Amino acid sequence: MALNEQQVMIRDTLQRLLTDMCPPDVVDAAEQGTFPQELWQTLAETGLTLAGIAEAAGGSGGDLEDSLLVIREAAAFATPLPLAEHFMAAAMLADAGATCRTGPMTIARGEFKLNDDFLLQGSAADVAFARWADEIVLVAHQGYATKLCRVSSADIEVTPGASMAGEPRDQIRVDARLGADSVFEVAADAEDRLLLMGAALRGLMMAGAMESVLEMSVAYSMERTQFGRPISKFQAIQQQLATLAGEVAASTMAAHAIAAAYSELTALDIAIGKARIGEAVSACTDIAHQVHGAMGYTLEHSLNHRTRRLWDWRSEYGAERHWQQLVGRAFLDAGADHLWDGITRRV
Amino acid sequence: MFQGLTFEPFRLPPEAESLREEVRVFLAEALDPSDQPNSDFNAGESATFSKKLGERGWIGMTWPEAYGGGGRSFLERYVVTEELLAAGAPVGRHWIADRQSGPLLLKFGTEAQRQEFLPRIISGECFFSIGMSEPDSGSDLASIRTSATKTDGGWLLNGSKIWTSFAHTNDYMVTLVRTEPPSENRHAGMSQLIVDLKNPAVKVTGIQNLAGDEDFNQVFFDDVFIPDDMLVGEPGNGWEQVISELGYERSGPERFLSAFRVIVEYAREVGTEASDEQAALLGRLVSHLVTLRRMSIAVAGMLEAGETPITEAALIKDLGNTYERLVPEIIRTAVDENTSRRFINTLNECILHAPSFTLRGGTREILKGVIARGLGLR
Repeated sequence: MALNEQQVMIRDTLQRLLTDMCPPDVVDAAEQGTFPQELWQTLAETGLTLAGIAEAAGGSGGDLEDSLLVIREAAAFATPLPLAEHFMAAAMLADAGATCRTGPMTIARGEFKLNDDFLLQGSAADVAFARWADEIVLVAHQGYATKLCRVSSADIEVTPGASMAGEPRDQIRVDARLGADSVFEVAADAEDRLLLMGAALRGLMMAGAMESVLEMSVAYSMERTQFGRPISKFQAIQQQLATLAGEVAASTMAAHAIAAAYSELTALDIAIGKARIGEAVSACTDIAHQVHGAMGYTLEHSLNHRTRRLWDWRSEYGAERHWQQLVGRAFLDAGADHLWDGITRRV
Repeated sequence: MFQGLTFEPFRLPPEAESLREEVRVFLAEALDPSDQPNSDFNAGESATFSKKLGERGWIGMTWPEAYGGGGRSFLERYVVTEELLAAGAPVGRHWIADRQSGPLLLKFGTEAQRQEFLPRIISGECFFSIGMSEPDSGSDLASIRTSATKTDGGWLLNGSKIWTSFAHTNDYMVTLVRTEPPSENRHAGMSQLIVDLKNPAVKVTGIQNLAGDEDFNQVFFDDVFIPDDMLVGEPGNGWEQVISELGYERSGPERFLSAFRVIVEYAREVGTEASDEQAALLGRLVSHLVTLRRMSIAVAGMLEAGETPITEAALIKDLGNTYERLVPEIIRTAVDENTSRRFINTLNECILHAPSFTLRGGTREILKGVIARGLGLR
């Protein structure tokens, strides 16, 4: 990505920070149940959790691309934090005219109803990092209206659950009266928007993690020696890494397109991106684990931090099939003779 | 990120985009409706079509106007190329001359050669074949044995070339030869000569491929005299010239569009009544195609900027060729038995040609080796 000066600074700061403060044992500790408090606090203090959110709304200003950059770079370090959801929640709140706080927020997607007395009831499954969130932002229906609600952790009943990567994916139940200042009118497509945002961000996260996986795999192949030489000298290994590089390059390209489509939430480009990147995960993780051998299959080696997250992320906010179907229907509706023209319009 | 894996997103500029509609209008008139469109660049050839394209100014588009070229950018050429391929136009005859023989002469040829050949290529009336591979020299091109020994006023050519598409009908063949015996430096001692294919001393025998095409040939030279003025560049510089010909042109739309018409016919076949699975399959194929195209355009942008993206180009060709081979294989699993003749014909034609996608212009194994080098593994 051709980064501007500001973005180069953000990326370098973030990489230094994460190398220092998000080593493998922090990721492991998170899996054991320890919220990485110091890491979160440091990120929040540098403004990196709310880059691209207007200062007036409690963010740190800057461009949307800055946040996308942060989310993607953090994913390359398997950062066990709800950076994507926090950003989504902040953006929804800012759009609704509210101010975000710096404590971790997450998004819940489920079935929620709000009555005329602001009693919110409902539940959601697989809520990312729910147990560590100060606030959960969700969409509820009040009669025919669609409302965005910010719900304090005190009002949420959490049943812990875990993803394949050992990240919190909790069940939540809400049965609480909200303050009027916690409820905002939003457009009817708010849930669709959340799905698209989530899919887009997962696409970026997967691309970031896969770039890390490629670097790790190349480095490992050059260090690991067998039969008197580094395994990178064997054609069988070279050919597999070349295939991996192809999938990563395609994912990187698709991630650029997602980033370009993000501000308008162009469904077709996000769908193409999430589908293509999600599909790359299979070959990527297959080859990475093959090259890393038995060492890379252990919990102790940090390859699993990325690969388990990749296996989770490709299925979240719509797996490949969901998005492939969206793309396919769009092109089928336009007709076979317009297929090429449709392709050329995806710049 | 590794050097060699940098794909900066790039947008085709407006002057390139504006050509798109022009090409579509041209094709509506110039294409023979009874021809089955095939987006494999090697599948269809028509001297008539090539001439029409030449008259329109779309052969040699990027070459200097001094020779009759269009003086246009890589990017404008990119748009014309992808429109022709997507429509399945018969570009086979002029393809080599336009893509590599002309640029070779521009880079390494003499002024006389440029004056002689370029205007005729541009008008779509002069066609070139590639004389590189031999029966014992495919991926290992440096092992060629066809030789040219110096004689009065020229060279005596001995040996044989194979896989020389359209040599039975084309006019010339740029032929890689040994002008010095092999030495420790495997790449030294080779040169390129332009062979006149109409010379009766040059023997061409057809070779059929399993798809039933006879565009492949073997060409035999037995003391064939080639005049001095048909040497391209310096004697001994052949390897560098060939690498330049083969190198970064690997990333064009022809590397992922070969099976495109199968996708079109699939879409036509399943239509709006498609099941969810069938729709998802199309979406999957489109997601790959759109991504490959974006990568290819990114490289076109790099070429336009004067860079030489060797690893990126190899990556695109490898990914693209893999995709092309996959397209007919997965499409056939998504349709039932009652498909139209048109669909079956298009599908089967592609299946028969698919093995060639990962062989031509650099095999999959060689490309992966180039990528591995770009990763620092070799």
